[in-house]
Amino acid sequence: MTMLGDRQQLAYIAAQAADARVNVELETEGMTLNIGPQHPATHGTLRIIARLDGEQVVWAEPSAGYMHRGYEKLTEVRTYPQVTALVNRIDWLGSFANEVPFILAAEKLMGVEAPARAQHIRTILFELSRIANVSLFLGDLGVQLGAVTPVFFAFRDREYVLNLIEAATGGRFHPNFDRIGGLKDDLPAGFIDETRMVMKKLRTFCDQIEDLLFGNEIFQSRTRGIGVIPKDVALQYGLSGANLRASGVDWDLRRDQELPMAWNKADWKVWTHPDGDSFARCWVRLQEVRESTKIVDQLLDTIPSGPVMAKVPKIIKVPEGEAWVSTENPLGEMGYYVVSQGDQGPFRVKIRSASFNNISIVPWLLKGVYVPDIITILASLYFILGDIDR
Amino acid sequence: MGLVDRGRLPKPLTSLFNLGRSYSLWVYQWGLACCAIEMGAAFGSPRYDVMRLGVIPLPASPRQADLVVISGTVTDKMAPAIKRLYEQMPEPKYVISMGSCANCGGPYWDSYSVTKGVDQIIPVDVYVPGCPPRPEALLEGIVLLQQRIKNEDMGARWRGEGTKPMNVVDGESAEKGGVPVVVN
Amino acid sequence: MWSMVSRLKREVFPLSSTDTTTEAPRDERRDAEMARITGALGAAVLDSLVKANDDMWIRVSADAWRTTGETLKSLGYSYFCFLSGIDWLPSPFGKGEEDPTEPTPERDSTIKQGYTGGATRFQVIARVMQPFTSLGVNIKVDIDDSMAIDSWCSVYAGANWHERETHEMFGIGFNGHPDLRNMYLPSDFEGFPLRKDFPLLARIVKPWPGIVDVEPLPGDDEQEGEAS
Repeated sequence: MTMLGDRQQLAYIAAQAADARVNVELETEGMTLNIGPQHPATHGTLRIIARLDGEQVVWAEPSAGYMHRGYEKLTEVRTYPQVTALVNRIDWLGSFANEVPFILAAEKLMGVEAPARAQHIRTILFELSRIANVSLFLGDLGVQLGAVTPVFFAFRDREYVLNLIEAATGGRFHPNFDRIGGLKDDLPAGFIDETRMVMKKLRTFCDQIEDLLFGNEIFQSRTRGIGVIPKDVALQYGLSGANLRASGVDWDLRRDQELPMAWNKADWKVWTHPDGDSFARCWVRLQEVRESTKIVDQLLDTIPSGPVMAKVPKIIKVPEGEAWVSTENPLGEMGYYVVSQGDQGPFRVKIRSASFNNISIVPWLLKGVYVPDIITILASLYFILGDIDR
Repeated sequence: MGLVDRGRLPKPLTSLFNLGRSYSLWVYQWGLACCAIEMGAAFGSPRYDVMRLGVIPLPASPRQADLVVISGTVTDKMAPAIKRLYEQMPEPKYVISMGSCANCGGPYWDSYSVTKGVDQIIPVDVYVPGCPPRPEALLEGIVLLQQRIKNEDMGARWRGEGTKPMNVVDGESAEKGGVPVVVN
Repeated sequence: MWSMVSRLKREVFPLSSTDTTTEAPRDERRDAEMARITGALGAAVLDSLVKANDDMWIRVSADAWRTTGETLKSLGYSYFCFLSGIDWLPSPFGKGEEDPTEPTPERDSTIKQGYTGGATRFQVIARVMQPFTSLGVNIKVDIDDSMAIDSWCSVYAGANWHERETHEMFGIGFNGHPDLRNMYLPSDFEGFPLRKDFPLLARIVKPWPGIVDVEPLPGDDEQEGEAS
């Protein structure tokens, strides 16, 4: 029902106009509000400078760079396996998902393809890291809007997923498990049963969050109709992931792109929402966690047998060429443009991270909103600082 | 507390005060990167539950904090903010540096924009290594800090002595007080 | 209630083939798309490349940079993916793994551009995509000695931050960009980090720590001594 969205937006605009008239009559002075660089309610160190007129934002400008670590330069002086260890730390909540597109790009240049079993396990771990990432978002969302309980739920259930990732890869956070041509190791014994149990728990967690947060009237009135992004604007700014799908664009790279991964072996749904407001973005993410648990469940049934590593030389030299691979990461489209000149390390890597594009819409989006809505909008856009600054 | 300043506090009273201080640490969370999430897991999750150690992770501002955990990559652009944060905290103040990046630059040792260790800006009491350290490691760091506080000469601390960064790297030095320690 | 637009996955795509066949595989979808693009852009396209089941590249002349963006947008490439630069000069510092006390070895400094060629040291590369079909095209353009090019801000609003980043990292100017302030680094930072001749000082002032790994450990020494 786009009618509802339109009505809400009109009411919002009318309210803003009324406020603006009051401001003109009262001749209020503007003030500059600085949020950050470190703020407990932001994911990392984004600083936002907002010029206020009364309660309204006249303009706002995010100031990034407090977490700029120079990834693109550092990749030029490292070999391919070393780069994998580094790119884990771009989006630190879904670290395994960061490795996959880079490894796929290198494999594409080398003309290697991972065995079917490795592709399958990669997809499972990819979705597990999506669950670990987005479940924390669902908890954090509550904190940012003033509800503290969901974050405890999120941390409780996220630990189960981290345990799984640790069991398989040896690292809770930064697995560095992906290799060119496959995976470092096979799955440990008991992983499949354990994962099934955890996925059940995660689905219960989603139900709890839906009851606690999404059904809450205060939450709805704080998010509905706030920060509406129309479809064409979202595409122009290069928004991706749930932010794009919440604006009604039915596009998911997992489904719509040919990649040597196992997503097409499971039956799942791409959720979209026509409203494009903060509520829609959060709601789409909640559904995505549910879909991810389903994908994992189905893939666990059909893991093919065989090796997890293709035959690749010990010292990896990637032939000359250029390759672009992007995947649908927890935060959106994450891609690597790898330029190789036949060396042991890449010549140039352009890292296209999702949050950088997602957050570049903020100056446009914050124009004219109220101060409390800044936090709502930033929370619903869901960025991770390492993913913006790299 | 003029007695404390002059260092003339009777020993039993010092022990009592130190005991009280070590179990009522208000810790300010300065979460910067990946480690911030593990710090959040240690401080905010029901599984690790830092409050059972007498640590309160929710001060409203650095002016009300005893301890700050610098967790994550410190960049040159962020460094002035950290220095200012440290100056805002009241004495006696303690710093835990969490993770390889805050300790020494970590995987970004050759980067053009990363500060190679937060101890170049502010004195550090406890280094917690790891990339990122597990929440248990951070909890051990806090326990070591508490041991150190218990053995401290309050007068020296109040006068600002003993806050100098030193290069001692074994866990036993916590017993002696006044020197930084590294969790192993 | 709100309606949910959802769709089951439409078809099962085949896995991309990496079989080494004798003749180059054809990709009709991308070939047709490339014909459409080159037809619309006309003489602006200097070179083009289609890799089957992979991607498309074109190189355009610098004068036509803005119109290229506009044309592609009208052809359905409405999703802005990224914009960045490439410095094709081989790094004068290598990988920074040599011992700094040794004299620097001779390095080949011939510039060798990648796909679709090029004539200059710096190139700007952008990528736009068609939503739903997931077809994307990488557009390259040469940057001459004026080190400036038209801005894409008015075409794709998302190019704003990417151009700021490219300006900061490579020193490439964008004519018509509203605000080319530094995005990451302090405003008094000197140099352009992603240029190949920008040194990573930490690697130059001290030996690369990886060298240490090949030194024998104390225990290894003793064993070797016993064995010999």
